[in-house]
Amino acid sequence: MISFELSEQQKQIKEMTHWFAENEIRPIALEADKLGKVPDEWLQQVNRMGIQLNTSSFSGGKGSSTGKKKREREGNRMGVLATEEMAWGDPAITLSLPGAGLGGPPIESSGTPEQKERFLSIFTTDKPRWGAYALTEPEAGSDASGVRTTARKVDGGYILNGQKIFITNGGRASWVVVFATVDSKLGRAGQRAFVVEKGTPGFSCTKLVKKMGLRANETAELLLEDCFVPTEYLLGGEEFYDSSDSKPSGFQVAMKTFDSTRPIVASMAIGIARAAYEYTLDMVKKEYPKQGKYFYLASEILAEAEEDIQAARLLTWEAAWMADMGIANAKEAAMCKAYAGQMALDVCAKSLELLGPTGLDGHLVEKLFRDVKVFDIFEGTNEIQHLVIARRQYAPFGVRV
Amino acid sequence: MISFQATDEELAFVEVAKDFAKDRIRVLARTSENHLKVKEDLSEEAMELSFLSLELPEAWDGLELPLISQVQILKALSYGDLGIVQGFPSAGDAASLFRCLSEHTELQTIKATYLANTDHPSALVDLTDTEKPFGNTITVRNNNGDYILNGTTEPVRLAQFAETIVVFARDNEDVAVVLLLNDQEWLVEDGDYRIGLLASGLGKLKFNHVSTGKILAKGKEAERLIEKVQTRNYILQAAKQNGLMEAALDYATQYTAERKAFGQEIAKFQGVSFKIAKMAMETRIVNHLIWNAAIKVDEGSFEAFSLALRALHRAHKGVRFVTDAAVQLLGGHGFIQEFPVEKWMRDAQAQVALYGSEREFLARRGAALLEEQGQVSVE
Repeated sequence: MISFELSEQQKQIKEMTHWFAENEIRPIALEADKLGKVPDEWLQQVNRMGIQLNTSSFSGGKGSSTGKKKREREGNRMGVLATEEMAWGDPAITLSLPGAGLGGPPIESSGTPEQKERFLSIFTTDKPRWGAYALTEPEAGSDASGVRTTARKVDGGYILNGQKIFITNGGRASWVVVFATVDSKLGRAGQRAFVVEKGTPGFSCTKLVKKMGLRANETAELLLEDCFVPTEYLLGGEEFYDSSDSKPSGFQVAMKTFDSTRPIVASMAIGIARAAYEYTLDMVKKEYPKQGKYFYLASEILAEAEEDIQAARLLTWEAAWMADMGIANAKEAAMCKAYAGQMALDVCAKSLELLGPTGLDGHLVEKLFRDVKVFDIFEGTNEIQHLVIARRQYAPFGVRV
Repeated sequence: MISFQATDEELAFVEVAKDFAKDRIRVLARTSENHLKVKEDLSEEAMELSFLSLELPEAWDGLELPLISQVQILKALSYGDLGIVQGFPSAGDAASLFRCLSEHTELQTIKATYLANTDHPSALVDLTDTEKPFGNTITVRNNNGDYILNGTTEPVRLAQFAETIVVFARDNEDVAVVLLLNDQEWLVEDGDYRIGLLASGLGKLKFNHVSTGKILAKGKEAERLIEKVQTRNYILQAAKQNGLMEAALDYATQYTAERKAFGQEIAKFQGVSFKIAKMAMETRIVNHLIWNAAIKVDEGSFEAFSLALRALHRAHKGVRFVTDAAVQLLGGHGFIQEFPVEKWMRDAQAQVALYGSEREFLARRGAALLEEQGQVSVE
């Protein structure tokens, strides 16, 4: 039956994350942006509370997210609900929360049981730890199949060489899922995903970049120089690539990851848009006249913003629902990401329009505007999402676009 | 629990509707447009399949389906041709009123016609917005309990065929009234309609001192009733528009997958494929906002009216965009009548003109957001 009513568990997680966003995240949002980092003591404190952000689902309150009465899987829906609330509090801080981050989904989907145990069990409450996902390179962004980082097979493992850029939490991460090619002539089939641990000889963070927005969140450049990685750290193990007829590759691991992370990224964009909208609605209620041309102007702009937010949310819920149901959702994941990223920027711009010059001076919305632009870029640009949607649309006609 | 899964019953009904749309409606679209009327045998088939009585109450031999089911079925039917769906001789926009007031004494003769399985087209005239330009030439005067109508309406769907007319109005004392006209004399101005929905019986209703004592509701009761009927109609119309959007999307997708230029399928040019992606997204968005509003109506939520405004606003915007994009993607072929998309674009524009101004919907929705707590609805 078609329904947009939240289950009891979904309501609980939404309420809990909203409380946390409102009382713990939002109060430090502007200060963290100014500092260019999330205060360490704050991260330690929330980690002790068991608050983490995993990109397939939010886990909070010391493991309370694993419900016992579930009749159907709802982790993806819970994930997008929780993430919207957290990003509503502040997206940069949300992205800085301890946890596996974008590195979690490839390990969950393609890792061996031993790899899952080794890499995913480290996120405990004693100390904040992070995982990261390193795909992008200076010469390979949207064209993920063009990765140039090499993985040369040697006794007992691989030697990695290459550079990775724009890596969220890449400097502080305990491990990073790194995509590399064993033979560039094989194209996508030659790609592999490795887990590289912090401190591995030849693996270093060379730079933390300064950005337009999301300033409190760390974005790193990573260097791999003759970096030895043992075979056990090849995601899925060598058998994974040898035994299957369908010839899986690191490229497929990367792409599959997007089907679960794009709804999460979309829900962050929605949370940002909602924060801007609600802030502006409140200001308009207080400062605008109750009739006349400015009232009608604001009414139209706010109504359109609210409509666009709900449109993005429903696309995102659909993609998450499909993932929970085990239905292929690449098209819907791309749809929600494409729409939400662009919509959120538009809502932030409309909010600034309503606030006028006043909005430039110390108001949350100007920060949200700076933060939100990248949501139309990372995890696949808007243009890449369009390509993914179009490919699925034309697939029944045998045309590959 | 958040779910996008239709029930088995809905899926089965939609499958029948979609087949009917593709096999019967689509092929008769041009003929019906040229004859300015839906072919009678097609209307009879639609009636036999119960497609014309989805909204009517069970006591009237209707299906009285929940709105969430109706929107899926109407979308499937309109996939065939919106012009035909709007021209079926049915209770039309008055169906929701009949559903809300099924036991009203004044409606029992109309109920009898439906129980006898007779064609009984009805039209709904909404004159409640007294500030609307072009709509102020008509007066509704309270004359000691009877109401006297004078003037000419704007174009109304099914006006040419209507045997019953329901009027929503504010009288000379600014009191809301819902009136029934079925044994009075009124005229229908033929007009010069060319843009679209030509089979839908468009016409202006001309009242020359027409008097009626059939008052279905008055005052606050009428206001509540009008809002309830408007809410349902906004959503039902939006669903039909969504069906047209899907038709245009699918047609343009197939055309651009097959049409070649510069040595390859034009789908391979990103200017083309990205437009198809945008059309697909917009079609999906309109679908979901309609479902969102329909569910709220079925639940009897106070939010329903406002969400209906939102759904129809987006459906207006969406149907204009998608039908225009389809014509554009077909290039010169899109402009000529050998292909259906030019008709769909015309029908879309006529539909949007008939069913309310986008900007007005936004202004009303925005005012509601500013008056209320203003939270973006999550459930």
